[in-house]
Amino acid sequence: MEDTGTVVAFWILAALTVGAALSVAAVRNLIHSVVLLIVSFAGVAGLYITLSADFIAVVQILIYIGAIAILLIFAIVLTPRAGRLNQEGFMLLPALALAVLVAGTMIFVAFDTSWAISERDGFEETATAIGDLLLDKYALPFEIASVLLLSAIIGAILLVRPEGAEEGPE
Amino acid sequence: MAIILSGEWYDLRDLANPIRELIDALGAPDAVDYVLWSLIAALAILIWLVVSVIAFIWIERRLVALMQNRKGPNRVGPAGLLQPIADAIKLLLKEAITTRDADRILFWLAPIIVFIPTIVVFAVVPFGESMVLADLNVGVLFLIAVAGIMTPAVFIAGWSSNNKYALLAAMRAIAMLISYELIQVLALLAAVLFIGSMNLQAFVSWQDEYNTWLIFILPLPVVAYVIAGAVEINRSPMDLSEAESELAAGYHTEYGGIKFGFFYQAEYMAGFAIAATVTTLFLGGWTLWGLEEWIPGWIIFLGKLYAVFFLYIWSRGTLPRLRIDQLMAFAWKFMLPLMLVNALVIAVEVVVWEETGASRNVALPAIGAVNATLAVILVIGWARVLGHGSGLQRGYRATLTREIGKIYYTGAEVS
Amino acid sequence: MTIKSEPFVVNVGPQHPSTHGVFRLRLTLDGEKIIDADMIMGYLHRSMEKLAEERTYTQNIPFTDRTDYLAAMTGNLAYVIAVEKLMNIEVPERAQFLRTIMAELQRIASHSMAIGIFANDCGAWQTPVMHMFRDREKILDLFEMACGARLTLNYMRIGGVSRDIPDEWMPQAHKLLKELPKRFAEYEDLLLSNEIIIARSRGVGVLTPEQAIAYSVSGPMLRGSGVAWDIRKADPYAAYDKLDFEIAVGTNGDCYDRFVIRLAELRQSLYMLEQALDMMPSGPVHQRLGTSTVQPGTQPIAPLAFRPPVGEAYGRIESPRGELGYYIVSDGGPSPFRFHIRSPSFINLTPLKLMAIGSTVADAIVILGSVDIVVGEVDR
Repeated sequence: MEDTGTVVAFWILAALTVGAALSVAAVRNLIHSVVLLIVSFAGVAGLYITLSADFIAVVQILIYIGAIAILLIFAIVLTPRAGRLNQEGFMLLPALALAVLVAGTMIFVAFDTSWAISERDGFEETATAIGDLLLDKYALPFEIASVLLLSAIIGAILLVRPEGAEEGPE
Repeated sequence: MAIILSGEWYDLRDLANPIRELIDALGAPDAVDYVLWSLIAALAILIWLVVSVIAFIWIERRLVALMQNRKGPNRVGPAGLLQPIADAIKLLLKEAITTRDADRILFWLAPIIVFIPTIVVFAVVPFGESMVLADLNVGVLFLIAVAGIMTPAVFIAGWSSNNKYALLAAMRAIAMLISYELIQVLALLAAVLFIGSMNLQAFVSWQDEYNTWLIFILPLPVVAYVIAGAVEINRSPMDLSEAESELAAGYHTEYGGIKFGFFYQAEYMAGFAIAATVTTLFLGGWTLWGLEEWIPGWIIFLGKLYAVFFLYIWSRGTLPRLRIDQLMAFAWKFMLPLMLVNALVIAVEVVVWEETGASRNVALPAIGAVNATLAVILVIGWARVLGHGSGLQRGYRATLTREIGKIYYTGAEVS
Repeated sequence: MTIKSEPFVVNVGPQHPSTHGVFRLRLTLDGEKIIDADMIMGYLHRSMEKLAEERTYTQNIPFTDRTDYLAAMTGNLAYVIAVEKLMNIEVPERAQFLRTIMAELQRIASHSMAIGIFANDCGAWQTPVMHMFRDREKILDLFEMACGARLTLNYMRIGGVSRDIPDEWMPQAHKLLKELPKRFAEYEDLLLSNEIIIARSRGVGVLTPEQAIAYSVSGPMLRGSGVAWDIRKADPYAAYDKLDFEIAVGTNGDCYDRFVIRLAELRQSLYMLEQALDMMPSGPVHQRLGTSTVQPGTQPIAPLAFRPPVGEAYGRIESPRGELGYYIVSDGGPSPFRFHIRSPSFINLTPLKLMAIGSTVADAIVILGSVDIVVGEVDR
């Protein structure tokens, strides 16, 4: 990251991402939280771009903003409690402990790893490489992930099925 | 100037060349050149978009008026041409009302967020041979990803107005958009599988090289993409989220003035984005079987783009609206299986073509014919399987009788 | 486990694009499904029935224009029939035919609107309505030629009609009758087998004949539920007993049936008009009322005020929306003692709750469109 532009972009995006992420926890309105989370996701996508990972960046926008955020919105809207406030609940302490733990792990990993600096510069066709790897070297994990998602879908369908529907023809 | 002096005046066809010449003439360092180039291109796209939107507001109103036996705007300026400008001024001058119970920040933010993806999409669209702002390798994915930002924006608009019609419409919009995004992705997946690249310029050059348009080879994805596009830009028969006859104005019911203007304009821009995608991916982009040598590529591109956009104007003037459950059933029960089968078939075709090494003159017509037949068989067959054409979907005339007092009721069929 | 959502109350109206006026429908929703529907009327109440008690019988005719303002002719007709029954007035033959012709033209105009608006409620963005306006305008031109007004016509008089049609009326009417079949074929072509309209309206808003009779609905609503009932046949008035026509009935009782019935009635009206124009006799168009007590003198035909004998009468006709009845009680004075309108819009609207519950918001709008109400007539 010798390039000044990249460095400037990195710091702006990093500030945006972290700031938005902190606000997610800080703001009182849950929908505002989701919007800030979207900003945070977008910041992460920007960070990927500075890392020349164009495919991952676009996928980040597609999956996280286009799908995960929507899922969260659905979850909030469908929660049958009218006051959509980000209240302090009984989970405050456990959540704090968990957050500290995760943060500690990440900081440890960040400092413990000897980061190799990539030699390549600029954009390359990362999509093809990822595709090749997914269908070749990592075919099994890929398939396992698919099966996991499939079972999640079937489970979700089972959960929301009306009670009476169980006697129907399968 | 250098171009004209060198006698290669025809390079002016591509508007990027003179701009490059101009920037080169300045002799600034590379970084400045890059920024300047991006700024000029972005500004050009923005100006084109705004002008197109203004023009198409007039064109759409006149065309729909033509379909409806009336004249349309014809008072402001010659033939009513200045009507959109008058409207724009009116919208700008109106008080920007924020309702009392609205979520103030999000209420202001929503029109802006809606605006962003519709403009950003055009960054990857090639208007001409070198007229593309960002020649991304993952262009197709970028199109889908950026269009996906519309979904939360629409929800924010509907939710923050604190209006029941708006909220209902926003929920409908989300359900629709995420369902049809899937169809869009699968439609584009088929195209990407066939071309083997996600770069939009690669699509254009492939279609140029093979002297064909992808629409002839992949008819089903084109149709699916156009339908899914109608959902994304809220055009009938899929204009459920701003269903005028049910939900007043849908998710932007509470918006007035320029904030409404933003939604209005974003809708057109999104329409152009869909049309641009269809043009680039399936209709050969800025090429026209060699004619691009004589006519500037961007004129060809815009001509095709407007032709595709006309489809949406046409459907708006003619079609009624579907119900939300019908629309969802159409996406999940009808289109999704078809698109999955289609993607699989195309993958097989690509492999077979590669393995056999057939010449393009044999392979392309063969694949096109197979896909077209398959599309017809799949659409009709799957509709039959789902029970379409069982009589419930058929129209009939009223029974006529001269006797009174008799009851002709045979029992209601519930669909 | 099922997902339970909070009930969500949505007001459709009184200001709403699809309530056909100021009518309010309060829907309680579970998601998009309607679990309760309340009709709130009265936003357009103008106290016509009470006002009419203060005016003379002739002065009341303009009120009847303003109840069902999309079918002023039939409103006029029902009222004058009631008064004529009260006073035992014989109406001249030519006036009877003129009344029939005007009523049928009005039915075409009104049904055209109903079909157009129904398609609009199904989501077709204005196009069907605009096409329907084309025919309606021509019919309104004919009305203008006959009586000078286009919407609130005030054409019928007690004892006949206000004036005879001008000479150029007949050729223009014949011209229109030649044009209309083409138009109707076009509408049937475009709408009858339109897949989306079918998907939106078939099996939606079903009303069984038992329910229809129990709610005493009438007109296309009743016939849509398969009950072959039409006052023009059951209790002929004007010149309907001399005309040959069929009544259209549906078999499923859904919105689509009501819609196809209106389409079929357009053709039947046309058929009746062709016969009536051919059979039209000559002669006076108004019966002189010898019993009048207050006579301004210069009024050529209809006296402004008269005193009918003590009694009561109920005059009913088949208006485009159903059985339109005027019930009048006379105490011998110059104005009615009691004046009641049995308005089909109001009574046809009552089963809306029954039809709407269990369907979706979009369906409720389609059902409301298929009922074809005029709020002026609902609230009076």
